[in-house]
Amino acid sequence: MNRTFADTVFRNGRIYTSNRGQPWATCAAVKAGRFIAVGEERDVAALIGEGTATVDLGGRMAMPGIVDIHNHIMMGGQADLYELRFSNADSIPRIAETLHKAASAAAPGAWIVGGQFGNNLLNEMNNAESCALLDAACLGHPVVLRDDTYHNRWASSAALRLAGVAADTADPTDGEIGRDLKSGTLTGIMIEAASGLVERALAASGHYTAEMDRAAVARSISVLNAYGVTAFIDAASMQPIMAALKGLDDRGELTAWAVCAMPVVEPGFMFGKAGEELFALREDYRGAHVKPDYVKVFLDGVPGAKTAAFHEPYVTDPVRGCCFRGATMLTVPDLIRWLGRCEKLGLAAKIHCAGDAAVTQALDAIDVVRSFNGPTHLIHQIAHASYIAPDDIKRFAELGVAADLSPIIWYPTIFLEAHKAAMGEERAQRFWPNRDLKEAGALMAGGSDWPVIPIPDPWQGIEGMVTRQNPTGDFPGKSLWAEQALDLKTVIDIYTIDAARAAGLGQSIGSIEVGKSADLIVLDQMIFDIPPDQLADTRVEMTFFEGCKVYERGA
Amino acid sequence: MATADQIPVTVLTGFLGSGKTTVLNHLLRQPELGGVVAIINEFGEVALDHLLVESSEDRLALLDNGCICCSVREDLIETLADLASRCADGTIPPFHRVLVETTGLADPVPVLHTLMTAPDVLSRYRIDGVVATVDAVNGAHTLAAHGEAVRQIAVADRLLVTKIDLAAEDALARLDAQLVAINPVATRTKVQNGIVDPAKVLDAGLFDPAARSADVVRWFDLASQAANSPHGDHHCEGEACGHHSHHAHDAGVSSYSLVIDEPIQREALARWLDYVAALRGEDLLRFKAIVHVAEQPDAPIVVHGVQHVFHPPITLAGWPSADRRSRLVFIVRGIPRRIIENTLCKFAAVSRAAIQRSAA
Repeated sequence: MNRTFADTVFRNGRIYTSNRGQPWATCAAVKAGRFIAVGEERDVAALIGEGTATVDLGGRMAMPGIVDIHNHIMMGGQADLYELRFSNADSIPRIAETLHKAASAAAPGAWIVGGQFGNNLLNEMNNAESCALLDAACLGHPVVLRDDTYHNRWASSAALRLAGVAADTADPTDGEIGRDLKSGTLTGIMIEAASGLVERALAASGHYTAEMDRAAVARSISVLNAYGVTAFIDAASMQPIMAALKGLDDRGELTAWAVCAMPVVEPGFMFGKAGEELFALREDYRGAHVKPDYVKVFLDGVPGAKTAAFHEPYVTDPVRGCCFRGATMLTVPDLIRWLGRCEKLGLAAKIHCAGDAAVTQALDAIDVVRSFNGPTHLIHQIAHASYIAPDDIKRFAELGVAADLSPIIWYPTIFLEAHKAAMGEERAQRFWPNRDLKEAGALMAGGSDWPVIPIPDPWQGIEGMVTRQNPTGDFPGKSLWAEQALDLKTVIDIYTIDAARAAGLGQSIGSIEVGKSADLIVLDQMIFDIPPDQLADTRVEMTFFEGCKVYERGA
Repeated sequence: MATADQIPVTVLTGFLGSGKTTVLNHLLRQPELGGVVAIINEFGEVALDHLLVESSEDRLALLDNGCICCSVREDLIETLADLASRCADGTIPPFHRVLVETTGLADPVPVLHTLMTAPDVLSRYRIDGVVATVDAVNGAHTLAAHGEAVRQIAVADRLLVTKIDLAAEDALARLDAQLVAINPVATRTKVQNGIVDPAKVLDAGLFDPAARSADVVRWFDLASQAANSPHGDHHCEGEACGHHSHHAHDAGVSSYSLVIDEPIQREALARWLDYVAALRGEDLLRFKAIVHVAEQPDAPIVVHGVQHVFHPPITLAGWPSADRRSRLVFIVRGIPRRIIENTLCKFAAVSRAAIQRSAA
């Protein structure tokens, strides 16, 4: 009889599997990137041959690789590797100084991309004097600086020239080209859709090569691997991102499962093909580990900027007056058409809904689609499922819609403070009804929305879901809607098997089970034995992706 | 939308070799075709020479019975606009009816969509009906092999079964059963040597606001019957079997009718139509309905749909018969009746009890 030996065997661990049928094990064996045995010593002993590598876990805890249901995989790495970094607290003269240094060192004619300046500077920058100061520092280089919302830009005069923007250029729809109030000259400030004019010129210049894009994505993924993440959904996949992922995968260098959510329309912060044009290319980018099987729909904005759509009005302000509730970007029939089209193409949708009215609208549209189309294997997601009308909670499970829990702000943060200002304290606090969703049977998935939060550390999110308190020590003693806390086992499932299901990969990843991808992480502490407020201190010792070590702490 | 001034357009479709040209040849010789414009594919296929009174260089011919023949251009909208303007400037005699022949291989749906939605066309013309020829000898085989042929039958209001002298009795019966399965509400006329009464082709009047023509009344009646009684020995869809839908197994096409004995809100109906077009339009081969609208109980509306395109609703001056129930006819590919019923209840505010089913 032919004996099959494992490539790798993990032994002597306290392995939490996220598999309800067999939640704990001490050993697991891997062959060709898949688990072939999970259990005790006796279950793997016969699989250890001469060529088998054994990993002694030394009694440490291990668990499945974490799934990040929502991030922007190119941005973090790109910022790290290629962008001029300055703080969003920097003043204009300080930015000019940083810029001058970079411009002096840059190759002739080269673009300089930098960020992120505080969006509170936008007004101050929007005049001839500030423009002159910044432009002089650019030494004739085309320069584009992004603000900390990613929605707005400052562009140097050389960049404006390359973008074909002149004093007489009309403002684009949903955007504004900054002009000095007195002289009418361009200030370089590009608001919302106007950013696209400069970003497109940058893209057309070939400043970012395919090789640089791959390096940026690889950098981001190595950051994720260090936190134990081995799968993610890129929440706005444009062509360069998918090309980079596919490029890495073809080279055998992709160390995480990558699910791509292609925008149905060009998002405000990324530029290029979207919708049908982009969907048509999806098979070109599919790889062994790259799955372009989602679309991204933006239904509203964010509560802090009063661009999210709510059932109840925002606090009265001088600009919007009373009774302003925000608005959704698509009507229910439009959303229905998109969803219908996507289901025909076998694409599931990740729908950005920051306000409770957007959530209702998305659920209404999905209800219509389900009623006409019947059951589907596709799992649509409501992203940032955080402000939810009580009547809508049960609809998630009824309609088979997953709750994308991101960004990691289910405890007191600066975001919550902005929401309080926008809609009043009491309403702002009814944020992230995680326990209600869980009890109503919703499929829930943890995510980061990196770089909206600066580091994609799931352990902060895990602790916060259990404690509802800020794990960094900010806002000490304060909780956000403490009744909505969840137990740790539920939270780990939300970050592993449940997120895998929500990403459409529940059959192949998310738990330590025979037949599934051998994505396993080893932790420095037994998280079920420690006080919850120490969960965020958890360090990942090793990360294995398809049985191969892709990260080792201190290595 | 529809007015009496609009010129009725009859669409003649049928698969290659189904006898469409023979029927056309016969029709063009009939005195009733005076004042009719026939838009045909190729002059050459139809032997017109000895009928010609005059012909001009631009593919237009006047026949001795007063029929104007014109070969179809690439664009039907342009052809129809051109005819209207020639009529207005007197270069062709006035006409009161149009007959459009579609090419044999073609899916007739795009032609219908043009006639249903192009604003220039809608302002001057209305669809009169769709007539499809089916060959009694090869029809069954063609239907099994070609999706286009099934779509031609599905969208038709009238079927002409041709070459009946060449087919055996039992083969004819089988074909007939197959046609009923695909489209139970179309009239079926047997034709030999292409000889057909022009009245069986023209003047179906289905989009006519006057709505008194025999066909209109007939299909409304058929709709009620089909909803309430099993049709012979035709196969029914498994789960909808109690509902007496008809299923043509080969093509995956089935049909069923609903009778709704309660007024329907106009806006709710519009919303439901919008949803069904967006989500299941591709599979909705043909939809016809006469609807008792709550806001106008004495003036029913007629709705025609072909796949995702709906003709603007036609308001009738009055009910064509004493029956004032809404009747909806569906010819579909894989849309279960249950989904239609559930969504009507959920989104068109129809109460389930008002949807009539057959007696148990």
